[in-house]
Amino acid sequence: MSHEAPHHVVSHYDAPHYVAARVQRALAADERTYELGIRVDIRGDQLFLRGQVESVERRLLVATVAGETAPGLKVHNEVTVVEVRDPGEEETL
Amino acid sequence: MKIRVAAVGDVHLGEDIRGRYRRRLDGIEERADVLLIAGDLTRHGTPEEGRVVADEFRDLPVPVVAVLGNHDYQSDAEDEIVALLRDAGIRVLQDDSTIIECGDARLGVVGGKGFGGGFAGKCASEFGEPQMKAFVRHTREIAELWHKALKSLDTDHKVVLSHYSPVKETLAGEPLEIYPFLGSYLLAEAVDAEGADLFIHGHAHAGVEKGVTPGGVRVRNVALPVLSKAYAVYCLGGEDPEPC
Ligand SMILES: [Fe+2]
Ligand SMILES: [Fe+2]
Repeated sequence: MSHEAPHHVVSHYDAPHYVAARVQRALAADERTYELGIRVDIRGDQLFLRGQVESVERRLLVATVAGETAPGLKVHNEVTVVEVRDPGEEETL
Repeated sequence: MKIRVAAVGDVHLGEDIRGRYRRRLDGIEERADVLLIAGDLTRHGTPEEGRVVADEFRDLPVPVVAVLGNHDYQSDAEDEIVALLRDAGIRVLQDDSTIIECGDARLGVVGGKGFGGGFAGKCASEFGEPQMKAFVRHTREIAELWHKALKSLDTDHKVVLSHYSPVKETLAGEPLEIYPFLGSYLLAEAVDAEGADLFIHGHAHAGVEKGVTPGGVRVRNVALPVLSKAYAVYCLGGEDPEPC
């Protein structure tokens, strides 16, 4: 048991459904991430993260927080960094 | 009398990405007459991040109008963020309006962050526990203020700027279960009562850009992940034969 852990430390014996919900909550509430739009899916001992963030650093932090919240699961970070292209064509309304 | 409106939302700036968005704004005066920012300017809503936002959008060659988003409230520093933005010359709407003179044309912008509650037939109502009533009342009061602000505007064009969505269409791609936290039909109802040229919102990162209110007002979700470009540009008064 760690008192420093920012979130419930879970074992992979927890029902995947609740573990995924906990990871999602941690991503929203942890001050390193504050990411609300990340999808979390667990299949067996694999944890999949999907969504978009604004920078490479933020992408790595998402995996860090997820890994800490669900130790024992292999994290697959499928989160991408938002692409920002030039403004392009206007739309006439 | 055409006006070109640039719009973007959910830039979620912080010290770690300082300066990265600013360079995307080079030459904006050639593409647009005004820039609207649809909330979630920061990630944590701290004054430090507010300063990054102020620096990123200060001294642009076009007027800048912004509203806050839910992330900008996270650290209870929203008033300080608003003050920082205003010091940088950015107009911040909080359920009120502003007028932008652009050549011969006048653009009225009404708005604020908006709020949730869901969509007609599948929404929360002001019933039961005080927390539930307060949730829905907050949205209703916002909608009433926007209605009033729109009514008092006498401009060539009217645009509504919000963080939350007025319709479901632009949420497509978001999980259905969270729709009530992404917007409210009360916002659309208030705008439809007075009419507007365009309703700009953000917040739904996984949504789509285009929708329309039941009353026919065009809705555009300009969340940065939806646009995948620095900003969108909408040309109002398209029937005017003069080029935009
Ligand atoms: Fe956002
Ligand atoms: Fe948001």
